Amino acid sequence: MAEFIRNPVVELPDPNPEAHFSEEDLVFTEDEKSRITDWVNQYPTSDGAVMWTLWLAQEKFGFLPPEVLQLVATELSLPYAQVYGVATFYTQYYKEKKGQIVFDVCTCFSCQFCGGYDILAYLEEKLDVKRGHTSACGRYTLQEVECLGACGSAPMMQVDNGPYMHNLTPEKIDTVLASLEAGQSLPFVSITLPQDEDEMGGNRRTDADAEERYLTPPRPRQTQ
Amino acid sequence: MAVMTKAGDWKSYQRVLLPPVKNLHQLHVYREHGGYETLKKVLTEMEPQDVTAEMKRSSLRGRGGAGFPTGLKWSFMPPVKPDVPRYLCCNADESEPGTFKDRQLREYNPHVLFEGSLVAGDGMSLKACYLYVRGEYADWITHMQKELANAYDSKLVGKNMLGTKHNMDIIIHKGAGAYICGEETSLMESLEGKRAYPRIKPPFPAQSGIWKCPTTINNVETLACAPLILGRGADWFASIGAEKNPGPLLYGISGHVNRPGVYEYPTGMLITDLLEIAGGMRGGKKLKALIPGGASVPVLRADMIEGVTMDIESLREAGSMLGTAGMLFLDEDTDMVAFLRRVAHFYHHESCGQCTPCREGTGWMENLITRIDDGEGNLRDLDLLLDLCDQMEGRTVCALADAAAWPVRNTIKRFREDFERRCRPAVWAVNA
Ligand SMILES: Cc1cc2nc3c(=O)[nH]c(=O)nc-3n(C[C@H](O)[C@H](O)[C@H](O)COP(=O)(O)O)c2cc1C
Ligand code: SF4
Ligand code: FES
Repeated sequence: MAEFIRNPVVELPDPNPEAHFSEEDLVFTEDEKSRITDWVNQYPTSDGAVMWTLWLAQEKFGFLPPEVLQLVATELSLPYAQVYGVATFYTQYYKEKKGQIVFDVCTCFSCQFCGGYDILAYLEEKLDVKRGHTSACGRYTLQEVECLGACGSAPMMQVDNGPYMHNLTPEKIDTVLASLEAGQSLPFVSITLPQDEDEMGGNRRTDADAEERYLTPPRPRQTQ
Repeated sequence: MAVMTKAGDWKSYQRVLLPPVKNLHQLHVYREHGGYETLKKVLTEMEPQDVTAEMKRSSLRGRGGAGFPTGLKWSFMPPVKPDVPRYLCCNADESEPGTFKDRQLREYNPHVLFEGSLVAGDGMSLKACYLYVRGEYADWITHMQKELANAYDSKLVGKNMLGTKHNMDIIIHKGAGAYICGEETSLMESLEGKRAYPRIKPPFPAQSGIWKCPTTINNVETLACAPLILGRGADWFASIGAEKNPGPLLYGISGHVNRPGVYEYPTGMLITDLLEIAGGMRGGKKLKALIPGGASVPVLRADMIEGVTMDIESLREAGSMLGTAGMLFLDEDTDMVAFLRRVAHFYHHESCGQCTPCREGTGWMENLITRIDDGEGNLRDLDLLLDLCDQMEGRTVCALADAAAWPVRNTIKRFREDFERRCRPAVWAVNA
């Protein structure tokens, strides 16, 4: 017990953390303020708008250090503790700085048995970064995530909380990385339902940026 | 030749949730194919209690996992009081591993969901519907916002819908990555802008839901069935598929099959038929295990699926559950210990941490299974795991702890040899 008291296992957060953003940066523009007002009006109280506003703040600042949380709290007239509580509860809100591009590779069971861990290992090697970390150059963050709801097109990943990349293979990852390096944005890919393929000869949406089929995944090697 | 099963003549089944129409997600295409006609009929010709009665008659059971009769749920809403708003939450969180049907439904037919919410709104005299979508589906949120704006512009949603005196809003809420938000009371906490800790029930949402107002929560697919039922009649709906659990069902098939994907068929399909539809096992391998409805439901061994159909009754008899109908087929090379380790990791990661049996139990489960997977486990760890399941089940605020215990208990029970082979022997040979 005494040992525990001398060396508490829990690391307490720094009470006076160094700010990442200066006073001038920490403002919402008029346009952003009106978006926040729109969200607030959708709920009986301003609490409901907290999640949308945190998303906006994360888009703007990249991550959510205490001073940004304080800004959100002030904007919505909520206690800091509540905003902090929400921001720390959900995995998609980043509490620390991430790379410019974040790869969320799904390794939950459908993906696990269709080669999700192979994809993760391939990315680790390719980007020279361990899972759960950011590369030394600060460009890429590689994360292992739970089921993203695209198990039929496993293995898959999400890039920057945005587009899904389905039916991954090492070759496909090379293409994705090349287009990201070239500064291109990734397309929205619509997956064709097997029954649509039979009855309509292809994808039912003619406005999707790209189409793909559910494919038989390659055989997996690793499961962890 | 037509084959007769519980699902009827499924080979000539015509899809209704995802009918074969190009660009059905666009408002004008949806309307050309009879979209929002049911809403008009409901708003102008039907009384609210008739809507709920019709839903009850259809025997629709919720598609979110628990399979609760939808009409009954709607009838739990208390009588209308002036000044007390009433809400609908559409549960579009869909984070159950192995489940991906709701995303496809939203991508290809979002208006049927909007229409379903509005129909429910009339049936229960609601003020607004909150559509809780998980944060990962950012692209689909953008698409839905666009279509929803079109519907607002065409006066299908909002004030004086379709020129009647009815008003109802649909509001999209973006989550941020937490499986627990799929639990109904947790979803309500999240909507209120708090940490998503599930609430103790009672009071049930119908008495005290979001902002303490009467609230109903339904899954995306459940709500999408509502316009079909009210448009074509409860008798038509009840005649599709299995008698006690009727209707169209989206089967999300994944894993080691040749043609994975979302398939729409009646409920009560034979599992063996579905495997054949999905192209059989890839590489000609043999089936080893099947998870019939998402991570939480007990796994079935290949020898347990003969004659089992995909409906609540049949799967219960077989020793599993329908869940979300997200089916994962695993072939003979699958390592069940690695499977269970990943499932345990999932629940440990997603436990909200409110109840001790769940917060600690899921962690110990992961530790123990990891130890077995690494070849360091002892045989008694298996019994310790089963004991842990007993300690967790039914002792927590929400059903996540049960959902974590079921796969552990059943995978160990049904694949015990796989686990025993990985454990150290119980008795060490005495050095002679
Ligand atoms: C831990 C947990 C997670 C859940 N996740 C979801 C989910 O992601 N989507 C869903 O529709 N229902 C989910 N449910 C079920 C809901 O609590 C609720 O039963 C369902 O949304 C009711 O809708 P229904 O009657 O239309 O099925 C979950 C339940 C639990 C206990
Ligand atoms: S059972 Fe688990 S997830 Fe549910 S409230 Fe308790 S700790 Fe949270
Ligand atoms: S398991 Fe990877 S998307 Fe569902």
